Order: sequence, then structure tokens, then C-alpha cells
Amino acid sequence: MSDRPLSTLSLAPNMLSALARAGYETVKDIQDSTPEQLSKDLNIPLPASQAVFSAAAGPSRALPMTQSAAAMMGTTKQYSTGCQPLDRLLGGGLKRGFILEINGPPGSGKEQIAASAVKSFVECNEQVLFVDMQNMVPPATIKRILMNGPRAETDGMDLVSYLSFHSTVEIVAFIRSLTAYLEANPSTALLVLNSLAFPFQPHTFTLKSRFAILDKLKQTLARTCASMGLTVIITSQLTTKMLEGNGQPGSAPPGSKSIMVPSFAHNNFPTGRTYRVIIVPQTRTTGVMRLLSAPTHVPNRAQPLREEPYQKVRGVIS
Amino acid sequence: MRLQQFSPPLRNELVQCLQEIGIKTDADLLLSGDHTTIFSRLPPELGISLLDFRRAVEEVAELASAVAMHGDKLLEMENRQHEDIFADDMLVGIPEVDALLGGFRPPRIVEVSGDKGSGKTALALQLALRHLSRIDDSSVLWVDSSGDFSPERVSAMLAQISGEYSESALERLQVSFASDIEAVHEVLETLRQSFAARSSTSYTASVTTRCIVIDAITSLLGAMLSATSSQGHASMTTFMRQLRAFADSFSLAIIVINASTKILPRNPDAVFETCRKPALGPSFTFMTDATLWLSRRPTEESEAVEESTMHVAEVLRSRISVCPAPGPPRCDT
Repeated sequence: MSDRPLSTLSLAPNMLSALARAGYETVKDIQDSTPEQLSKDLNIPLPASQAVFSAAAGPSRALPMTQSAAAMMGTTKQYSTGCQPLDRLLGGGLKRGFILEINGPPGSGKEQIAASAVKSFVECNEQVLFVDMQNMVPPATIKRILMNGPRAETDGMDLVSYLSFHSTVEIVAFIRSLTAYLEANPSTALLVLNSLAFPFQPHTFTLKSRFAILDKLKQTLARTCASMGLTVIITSQLTTKMLEGNGQPGSAPPGSKSIMVPSFAHNNFPTGRTYRVIIVPQTRTTGVMRLLSAPTHVPNRAQPLREEPYQKVRGVIS
Repeated sequence: MRLQQFSPPLRNELVQCLQEIGIKTDADLLLSGDHTTIFSRLPPELGISLLDFRRAVEEVAELASAVAMHGDKLLEMENRQHEDIFADDMLVGIPEVDALLGGFRPPRIVEVSGDKGSGKTALALQLALRHLSRIDDSSVLWVDSSGDFSPERVSAMLAQISGEYSESALERLQVSFASDIEAVHEVLETLRQSFAARSSTSYTASVTTRCIVIDAITSLLGAMLSATSSQGHASMTTFMRQLRAFADSFSLAIIVINASTKILPRNPDAVFETCRKPALGPSFTFMTDATLWLSRRPTEESEAVEESTMHVAEVLRSRISVCPAPGPPRCDT
């Protein structure tokens, strides 16, 4: 028998005011009577009063809401990303329930890294959802990478679901329906969002709608990573930012500088679970990978710089 | 409260007739008019006299009124509660900060507010971990509304806090992710049910929740506040009152972490920092027992210690602290 006030249930405002006028204040008052009596008392139709009863029945979410911090840390299995310097930056590999964001200039090979991470998940017999937003990794590429592995049969391709988007509308629809998809396919272990910065270029969204849709994505990711242990790999391009001669932001008079910065900010993804890495090429075949932020970083405090050198051998980073 | 629910129950026919003329609750009966006017509206075949009706109304008034308590008995009860809960288990560990509010003994709701990076989450985390390391059978519920909770950071902090029961501390720190206020209600409801289940069985060996931390309540309640309608403000007030009832009935210490917003216009002559204030409006501070404002002081080069930052905690408003001298004390971390 619960003392929970009725105003905390998600009922329509006119229903709540009808209940308040008739003197029903807590869930206990409702549970003492029946739907028929309630509908007679409040002069409302029977389906409406049954809806009140089902709302009062208790928490409706099937997924567990609360887990202990020890359980959150409990996963020790680490998946290799297929790129050894990146694995070293991550401390061995990517664990379930974490998000990895890879930034880099064009041609640095980040989409290849995402595709090879798919391979390590498929080898462990896990399902993958691959979402491509700029046609950088067609299904043929994924198939070629999977065929190179020990599982030479095409069974690996059954575990990978592929989606490709081109327009803003599709992106918004995808983000809004992501929760429902993941609830319907709870065995998805890896979600790859390839070229995420492409649909979020400045001209496509107003600032307010960009903020809203990215916030929705952040919430969905935080919830599913916590409850389902979903791992997410995001690759995003860099954005060009113009600086005037003295370093102030502005438009580009001759002789000014332009720099490339990551398109997404630190708080666009749940900071307790996200690793952000940037690929910094220094020559045509070598460079460093730098860790921009990790779950252990304390905000607003200077962190020691962690970098790992890499080399590109035949177009693949190692 | 509905008229049918009074115990001892009123006469059934009287209640039925009152329902028919539109009087369903005790508030309607006592406040909608003088009892003679209501009596005149009752049908004559009820067979009740004016005197009997007046007695019935007086009975309802007595049953509906709040229970009186004597002040000395209240003080005795409070002192007894303090003896049951050890005085030092709900502390931050820095004596000056604990002296600001007299500790965080349950039941109380404390708001911790400040700019980004001022140490609010760190303070709440240190309080929770210190409590979990020292007390064996207690657990802390952490409600995370932005996904910023990181178990690695927590275990790094736990390594620096020495306590008898540190090994099981992480298991007793329960984390929920709640992106909107309904989710928080459901989490609280689950907690309430577990309390009810525990009180029905008589053994007390299981772990009880003694502290709740709500990280960033600003995004949960702030979304509903608007300049044109007061409904968001009403939902905010209802939620905080329920939190208060929850804390009182189950003897919990609740820490609410709040973000900050700008103050306009700025007063350049003010002694303390006055360009930011706690978010959620001027009335939110009155819904909690105390408001702590944290800020970060830039360290001078001469006293910069490796890996440490200096923070200041001020009490903006409190109704629970007994302070001997005015002015907020300074403290380091």
C-alpha cells in the first residue's frame, strides 16, 4: 500500500484535476476502490478509469533502472579495435558499455578503424549495427574485412546490420527511434556511427535544433550503454575554424590562419563513458594518436597528455 | 480526504446524500459554506436533525485537523534519533566544511550548487564514499541525469579514502540513470517499495539506503520552468516536497546538485562573487534545508601544489546550521 501521491503518475491534467476534486490523493486511495466505482465517482468513462489503475499499478519499465557501481565496472572483456596504438591508448581495448569517438582529418583512416573493430566483435559472435552517413564504408568493404579474418565464411555478415543515411530527416528519425530499435534487438553489442559530423554541418541545423537532437542522442546512448552494455564507436570529421591573424575567431582576410577542430564538444556524449581520440598525422605515413578525454579525466583540470605514435602500412594504421 | 475514508466512519446515508449535493471531501464540507446552509440543501427524508448534523461536522473537523505535538516531546524524539545514528558517519572529512552545516546527518536535504568544475560532484562523491567505507550496512543511491557518472573516477577516489569497509563500498553505491523527472519518481517508488518490504520483515541484517544524491537536478526540473506558465514551478515544488517527505519518513540525507546561471545586473562593489547564482529560480533554495555554493579559486604561482586546486564553499542560506560568527569560513581541498 503506497503513499505515493497521484500527481507523480503520468496522467492527463484533466484526469488529475478530476481525481483531486473527488478527494483522491494517494495511490492507496485508488487501490482501495475498483475501476467501475472510480468511473462512477468521477463521472468518467470506464477505459479512462482503467488507465488510471494501470498507471497506479507500478513502474512500467522492464529494464533494470539501478545497478551498483561495482557492476558497472564489472565487464573486463576488452575488444580490440584492430589498431594497436589505439588499443594501447584505451588501456588494452574497448570494453562493453563504453563509447569511443575517433576524430581525424580526411584520409587519416578512421573509417577503416571502425570497420576493423566490427571484425573483432563479429569474431566474438556479437551483433553489430553499422550506420554509415557519408557512404564511406559500403557493405562490400565490411565483407572484405570480415573475409580476411579467421572466419572466412560469410556467416559473419549475418551478424552485421547495415544502415545508410543521406538526409537530415533520416538522421532525426533514426535518433528518435534508436531506443525502440535497441529494445527490440537487445543482443546488439556494437553500434557504429560512421561520419557522424557529416549530417551535423552548420548549415543543416539551427543551433537550437542541433542542441536538441544531439541531447536526445546523448540520452539514448547513456541509457542504453548503462542498461544493455551497448558499445558505440563514432567516427567524426574535423571542422575548419577560421582565425584572424591575432588568433581571434573571425572571417578570413588574407594571411589568416585556419585550424581544424573536432566537430563535437566534450559534453555532447556522456562523459562518464566516452573516450575521445584524435588522429594527428605528421607525415604521409606516420603520426600520433592523442587521447582528448577519457572517463577517468576530471573536468576542468589539466590532464597529462597521452599520445601513441602510429604508422600507416599499405593504407592501414598499425 | 474523501468522506468515505474517515474512521470511525460517518453514517452511510449522510455521506450518500452529501455526495449527491456535490460535497465529496472534508474540505468541501467544512469550507463550502455554513453548516446550516448545507443542512438546508440536504433532502428532508434523511431524517437527521440540525444538532446531529452539526455534531457530525465537528467530528469531521476534528478528524481532519493536523495532529498536535508538544515541543518538548519533539525535542526528545530528535535527540533520540541523533543517538541512534552515529554523529560522524555522514561527513565530508574536512572539519571546516562539516562545521558549515553541522554535518549531513539525516534527515536533511542539502543543495550543492556552483559553476562547472567547482567540485560539486566531487564533494557529494567524497561524502558518499567516506560514508560507505565506514558503515557496513548502508548503501547510497546515486541518481545520474546526464550520464557523467564514471565508475573509474569513483574507484580512483575510493583508493584515497581509507575505511574499514572499502572493498564492498562500490557494490553498495547504487547508480540509476534518469533522464526526466518521471524516471526519478519511478526510482524513488522502487526504493519506497523496498523500504516497505524491509519493514514488514523484522530482521535488519540487510543493507539500508541512508543517502541519496541527485546529480544535476537542474536538467530534470529546469526543463519544465517557463516564463508564461506556473505549472513547471508547481511540479518542481511538489517534487521537492515529496523528497522532503521521503527524507523524513525514511531518515535519509539527500544531496541535490544544482547548476548555476548568470546574475544580471552585476554589482561591482559586492565583496563575494556575484556574477553567478544557483539555477532553478529564487524559490528553489527555500525547498531545501541549506544551499552550499562552491567556487574554484585560481591558485597563485607561489602556492600552486601539483595536481591540486583550491575551492571555496559558502553557505548561501541555511536553516539547520548553528553558526557562532557571521561570514562563511574558507577551506582548502
